[in-house]
Amino acid sequence: MVASVFMRECFITLLATASFALAQTPAERGGAVFLQQCAFCHGRDAAGGEEGPDLTRSKLVAADAGGDKIAPVVREGRPEKGMPRFVLSEADMTAVVAFIHDQKTKAEAQVGKRRGVEVADLQTGNVEAGKAYFNGAGKCASCHSPTGDLAGVAKRFEGLKLEERMLYPKGAKAKVTVTLASGESIAGELAYHDEFTIGMRDSAHHYRSWPTSKVRFSIDAPADAHADLLARYTDDDIHNLMAYLQTLR
Amino acid sequence: MFAQGVDSGILSNPPADSWPAYHGDYSGQRHSRLTQINAENVGQLGLAWAFQTGQQQQIKCSPLLVDGVLYITVTDNVWAVDARSGHQLWHYAYPPNKGFKIGSRGVSMYKDWLYFMTPDAHLICLNASDGTVRWDVVVADSAKGYWTTMSPLIVRNHVIVGVSGDFDNLTGFLKSIDPETGKTQWRWDSTPPAGTPDATTGGMTWMTGTYDPALNLIYWGTGNPTPVLNGKARPGDDLYSCSIVALNPDTGKLSWSFQPSPHDTHDWDAVETPVLVDADFKGKPRKMLMQTSRNGYFFVLDRTTGESLLTTTFGPVNWSSGVDKKGQPIPNPAKEPAPDGRLIAPDEGGLTNYRSPSFDAKTGLFIVDAHPSYGIYFAKPADGSFGWAGADYGVWGKAVLDAIDYRTGEIRWAHELGPNGAGAGVLTTDSGLIFTGDAQGNVLALRTSDGKTLWHSGAGSPMQSSPITYELDGRQYVVTSAGGILFSWALPGRE
Repeated sequence: MVASVFMRECFITLLATASFALAQTPAERGGAVFLQQCAFCHGRDAAGGEEGPDLTRSKLVAADAGGDKIAPVVREGRPEKGMPRFVLSEADMTAVVAFIHDQKTKAEAQVGKRRGVEVADLQTGNVEAGKAYFNGAGKCASCHSPTGDLAGVAKRFEGLKLEERMLYPKGAKAKVTVTLASGESIAGELAYHDEFTIGMRDSAHHYRSWPTSKVRFSIDAPADAHADLLARYTDDDIHNLMAYLQTLR
Repeated sequence: MFAQGVDSGILSNPPADSWPAYHGDYSGQRHSRLTQINAENVGQLGLAWAFQTGQQQQIKCSPLLVDGVLYITVTDNVWAVDARSGHQLWHYAYPPNKGFKIGSRGVSMYKDWLYFMTPDAHLICLNASDGTVRWDVVVADSAKGYWTTMSPLIVRNHVIVGVSGDFDNLTGFLKSIDPETGKTQWRWDSTPPAGTPDATTGGMTWMTGTYDPALNLIYWGTGNPTPVLNGKARPGDDLYSCSIVALNPDTGKLSWSFQPSPHDTHDWDAVETPVLVDADFKGKPRKMLMQTSRNGYFFVLDRTTGESLLTTTFGPVNWSSGVDKKGQPIPNPAKEPAPDGRLIAPDEGGLTNYRSPSFDAKTGLFIVDAHPSYGIYFAKPADGSFGWAGADYGVWGKAVLDAIDYRTGEIRWAHELGPNGAGAGVLTTDSGLIFTGDAQGNVLALRTSDGKTLWHSGAGSPMQSSPITYELDGRQYVVTSAGGILFSWALPGRE
């Protein structure tokens, strides 16, 4: 009895879906796919949700034309950032791309009451206090220089992107030196490291790897200093440091 | 092979040739008495078989093993697989639907019936012998924003189900459903009805609870309040969101509650396994409940009364201003999401998440996949007071397996598992072994006493489920997953 009721409901649902499909725009169809596959991480409106970034503010989305940038990311995923691969039909992919662009347009139309983080939101710090932190307690000056690597940094990054890079520069390169049993020493860019394998790109850009149990190695990862600072910052330190970095134009 | 199915006796005291429920048994310890694979021979562990779901979705379920058959799921799909060979017996695919496709934690079993929850919040009863549908009932209205992912808890003739839904201001609840008819027996709401002035919604019941047959109480963790990041619309503690609750399984009546995160504004569900342990605490025998909570705290409670025995952190935590006399953390208002951002430890994913920890009674160690991490949290009036109502971004994190001494909360040893997070569940065995996974996709066997690695194998991607083990025909198998593939590991030469 219950099963037969279910069958009927299911049939009605399928009919309803089919008739909707005819009336819907690509963005509306894409919205349905987005809701099922993408919304948990990127939010139902593509403006960010659990873990996933706000796609309406994404540079990649801004640079996308008809899916040429978005589709490869959807298909290949970004495993290093926790995004899995998705297998979508061409029609679904086109629809999802249309939906994301539509959401971007809608979000940008909401002047003054827009969700998410604006550049204007990140202006509560004090420049002088930030400069003092940079040169003092933060020890930023031991690696960085406002006239060297950070010259013009505020022109290259702004708002949330600048703050995220300041707190921890994801994907920063590290160096590794591996010493083989023979005594030979090889230096390169760290390419892989787990408990069992150490891998590098050597000076000829070849990938080489060794069991960690068979070699000695030392890793030089300057970005670790950013992670060490996280436990020491006050929120004011962060806002002040942001204020100072934003003067480096 | 004669099907016996699952009854109360099997659930209360599972035989070695079974893993008849999500946690393996009612305690949630995810500990096995099996000892064939031990510290001396684990180095010879090899692949017995692999099973490919052929789906793009990752396996997030804990398999069930009953009468020599494994039952595994991904969203919208159930398979029955011969546990000796990995051979598929049947496959059930739920019809196309509009539900959120986040994951499926697995099926549950009562007699010869399986219970499977769907993205559009239905509970399906399947015939375990062939995967045919016996009945299908609606647990919650998916059009309002509910979905389901969990594996129901079976207690006698109660199929106890929970719901999910974070994008709308919805009331969380548990329902007890009759295993034969699909009729609702009782419903317990974790938060007031949507629209109640100044009251919270949320408190989703994402994960499978645990059960103490002697006390006749079920223990359940509830999720974050909604709106998620904006706490101003819901002043106060927001009961019973981010709570551990003890309920009578026959009536749904609340016996006691404890709140890991009063007035949460960081999405820290308290749905991590409420692990039940009977042991001494400060020289006195206790019936305890332990949880490593997503908010970074380790709690030990007396599970008869809910009295706090120990509250401590197991990694970086910067959002509280101490612990109150009930043992509950006190949220620091200065660490609520703000227009210019607040740096918070842990990040939104939490110091741990839904995959299972494990308790090893011999060493008194509570083993958990931890994620020391920082995130930045924003909320401003334009974000509103519905659903997410803010924005947050992970800044940095790493993966560490922590061995917590339950008596003191001290971390006895910590085993680094790589950058970002691992997310793997943990299994311990009586032979002093831990099975888990690292951030890069290695399956690991570690020594429980000191965390030393004894065996590993690359599986291609990180484990997003919790391992199980069982013994069939005198051979012990350990089952793990990576991506859409299930791996069964065993010692060689025992075919």
